[in-house]
Amino acid sequence: MTAVINRLREVAVVRKNNRTDWLLFGTMLALSGFGLLMIYSATVATGTFSMERQMIFVAAGLIIYMIFSNIDYREYRSMVPAASVVILILLVVVFFFDPINEVNRWIPLGFFNLQPAEFAKVVVIVALATLLAPPLSRDELTGPRTLTWPKMGQACLIVAVPGYLILREPDLGTTMVFGFILFTMLFLAGASWRQMAVLSTAVVAGIAAVFRFDLLSEYQKNRIEVLFRPDQVDPQGIGYQLIQSKSAIGSGQLFGKGLFAEDSFTAFQYVPEQETDFIFTAVAEQLGLVGGLLVIVAFAIIVWRLLVISRNSRDRYGALIAAGIAAMIMFHVFVNIGMTVGMMPVTGLPLPFLSLGGSFYMAMTLALGIANSVWLMRTPVPGENQLT
Amino acid sequence: MKFAVRLSILGMAFVTMFSVIGLRLWYIQVADGPAIAQAAEEQAWLTKTTPAPRGDIYDRSGNLLVTSRLVPAVFVDRTFIQPEQRPELIQRLSALLALDPAQLEAAYEDAGLNGRFQVATVHNEIAYQIVEQLRTLPGVEVVKVPERVYLTGPTMSHVIGHLGLPDARDIEERPNLDPSVRIGKLGVESFYDEPLQGVSGVQEYRVRRGNIIDQGSAVEPVPGHSIILNTDSELQQVLELALEEGIALSNDVKEVSRSRGEDVFSETKRAAAVVIDPQTFEVLALASLPDFDPQVFVAGIDNDTFQSLNETFAFNNLAVSGLYPPASTFKAITYTAIQEESLPFPSDIEGVDAENRLIHCDGQLELPELADGSPQVRPDWYAPGNLGWLDIHGALENSCNVFFWSLGLGTWQARDRVGENVIQDWAKSLGYGAETGIDLANEASGIVPTRQLFEEWAVYQLENPDEPPRLDASRLNPELRSPWFGGDLMDFAIGQGAFTATPLQAAVSYAILANGGTVMEPRLVDRIVDANGELVEDITPPMVRTVDISETTRRDLLTDLNKVVTTGTARAAFEEFGPGLELVGGKTGTGQTTATKDNHAWFIGLAPINDPRFVVAVLIEEGGSGGAIAAPVARHILQYLMGNEPTPIKAGDQTD
Repeated sequence: MTAVINRLREVAVVRKNNRTDWLLFGTMLALSGFGLLMIYSATVATGTFSMERQMIFVAAGLIIYMIFSNIDYREYRSMVPAASVVILILLVVVFFFDPINEVNRWIPLGFFNLQPAEFAKVVVIVALATLLAPPLSRDELTGPRTLTWPKMGQACLIVAVPGYLILREPDLGTTMVFGFILFTMLFLAGASWRQMAVLSTAVVAGIAAVFRFDLLSEYQKNRIEVLFRPDQVDPQGIGYQLIQSKSAIGSGQLFGKGLFAEDSFTAFQYVPEQETDFIFTAVAEQLGLVGGLLVIVAFAIIVWRLLVISRNSRDRYGALIAAGIAAMIMFHVFVNIGMTVGMMPVTGLPLPFLSLGGSFYMAMTLALGIANSVWLMRTPVPGENQLT
Repeated sequence: MKFAVRLSILGMAFVTMFSVIGLRLWYIQVADGPAIAQAAEEQAWLTKTTPAPRGDIYDRSGNLLVTSRLVPAVFVDRTFIQPEQRPELIQRLSALLALDPAQLEAAYEDAGLNGRFQVATVHNEIAYQIVEQLRTLPGVEVVKVPERVYLTGPTMSHVIGHLGLPDARDIEERPNLDPSVRIGKLGVESFYDEPLQGVSGVQEYRVRRGNIIDQGSAVEPVPGHSIILNTDSELQQVLELALEEGIALSNDVKEVSRSRGEDVFSETKRAAAVVIDPQTFEVLALASLPDFDPQVFVAGIDNDTFQSLNETFAFNNLAVSGLYPPASTFKAITYTAIQEESLPFPSDIEGVDAENRLIHCDGQLELPELADGSPQVRPDWYAPGNLGWLDIHGALENSCNVFFWSLGLGTWQARDRVGENVIQDWAKSLGYGAETGIDLANEASGIVPTRQLFEEWAVYQLENPDEPPRLDASRLNPELRSPWFGGDLMDFAIGQGAFTATPLQAAVSYAILANGGTVMEPRLVDRIVDANGELVEDITPPMVRTVDISETTRRDLLTDLNKVVTTGTARAAFEEFGPGLELVGGKTGTGQTTATKDNHAWFIGLAPINDPRFVVAVLIEEGGSGGAIAAPVARHILQYLMGNEPTPIKAGDQTD
């Protein structure tokens, strides 16, 4: 008993200076609060209490963040197989429920709809890190870290199974997130240029095949075409959404129309799905380029902090987890804002911490909680197994 | 490569991605922002227009000819339709209205985002049916819209015109036109479209999720002004019926000729007539056959009907756009020129008594022998035998071609002294060769041939050999001094040759002669009044110029024109005129075109002859002889105008 207490005291002394990454946490908190304000401005006239709902998710998310910050991320290694099974079952279960808006993405739980694909992102990141950064023997520690071809194949398989299920929902956007995470993590895990080239070629060939053999549904093709001709392709649906989104953002100009401005697209709910996927239009219209850039800077801080965590991780495993989370957030931000400004196809990827949505918000805080754990654990304690 | 390096590469990639979205955001908010903001502002407000009822049209006695009534119409406003409601709505609405769903779908698509369009006007029963179901038909409205009603059918169709949607040219000319509101096409509907149109009402509003959230103040439609015509609908009916009978008469006569083995080339189909007041230049009636019923355009005319009407020239107002040689009707103008200018008689010609100003009207004009000794004889194709020596009065009464030819020749011979275009100048000052300026579109100006014009044509024709020739190739012989000959002036003197004019021009020229030289623009419309009947504009025919005509010449001419109907070429046609024959006058004309076409029958009548208030011009296209076919038609109309019971139209004498 005394030994345990002494051990804990020893650890506490070593990690005395390892505090939570307050910049990361503060930025996350700021974005979450700002998101509530934006959701409120976009939905105040509808009487749906969207902001109040999101407040519950934010509270739940913060609890999740705190819990996962304080769990040693290395514990997850052993949990990967079980977590993978659970998430795959959930991804299959979604098909047994009635589709909402013609897609099978959710498991209705009464108080909210669980979207397993959001949590699958985190599971896949941890699983890939486990695969790509195995515990090494003392001999291997000195040798060059390389990625073998079979390992690369395994990594692809880890992504392909949930990726396929999600593609069938259908949710092309989330599948693309998986691809981006895989690509980033393989690169960091030491993939050779040849391996990267093979992967890139496979991706390009895949895209070419999709177009060559016309594998995209009419709906998916429209979403690409609509980028170039929003007034002609689907002008009632996605085209309308895009036109409204660009009009709202464009009319915000430098300083915006002001928060809760009466004469705005936001106030009139002229942008469909504004409180979820198109929340950025509420920012850019009401607060202008200044507000939009501030949000982008906030995301840049989060991504930067995650890369710093990755750099300072005590092991390759933690480094890969942090970098995978950075890639996930980066991709969401790029595709989501790119979509609202008419630069990327409308894929239904929400904006982290700002968009209304329970599963997504909680999955994001879960991811940052794990990253914070990597940060907290960065300094080895004497007697710990450092060889990971 | 070290992990740190790979991480740096990743960091740079992320910086690039953030920069790209930042730049794009700057581009659409700042670089492109003002334009987008402007467009967004316009998009925020939607407008709904209510068409104004078009003004009415009355005849000179106040009879209502054209009006507008309100009929229910079904509109679809896409603002209030969610995309997922669209297929069901289109399917239900097309079933209710018995429309092709594809057609409705196309109209829906054309209307554009937030567009509002009229689907169809409907009967009351269907309107009630739809109103009952409005709750389940989002975006559907039943609104009363004005619809044009033509109470007189085809009567006066060429005066009134019809309505149609503006075409590309209309919109180019009048950019403010609402492309969904019908405008006047042809007739006074077109010429007075702007006062008739009124101003559409406008309601601006904003919509949020299918609910109106904000409305601007409504601007009520302002009804169009009404117009009152100079035209008399009863006279118009007499005129149109007389023309129809004239066409029938012409075909009967042709049938007889054909049975006698004479050359007949075509069936008579077209005719035109106008009645104007020579004192005021008010157009009392104006008709062109075939005509059309303007009502067929109201429900929307189908292409086949339109094409079949168009092929018969039903939309061509021959009274103002048909061009025909004025033929012997023009002798009244040559007559005036001869008297006013004392035009010389020809020398070295047999049958000319220059001293007493007489010509021997024996049916042919013998010109001097040609250089090779061959004789030149011009036969007068309608000469009813030897009329003996005639002065100008007898020549007009009997329409003696030889007389007017001779004077044409005399003018040609003395052209250096009297001017080579002296007769043409008279023709032009009396309105030939230029538009009369009537309040109708598409008026033709006609051709008054002169040496200068022929020479221009010749040059043009030599330079553009591919275009259809206007002059006979023989006239282009370079050995000739000019493509214009003395014979051309002689033909011009009897209204033939390259000379063409519209029936309205012929009527106007007689009106000027009858009123002593006042030239005005004829007007179909008397005045414009607003919806309450208050005068907006009193339309007085504008004065163009005056022509110096001596009272003696005018009196003589009117007297001689009376002789035409009492003892001259129209005697037979006017036999049944009844009381007051001494108060009417006129002139026959038989226009020749080519050897393979029937002649155009003309008659221009005047009454009362001492101070005319009516000029009646009648033209039966390829109808035959003026005295036989056109004169009886004009007589019928003049009988009506002078208060006699109009008698049936039957053939008069075959004359010039």
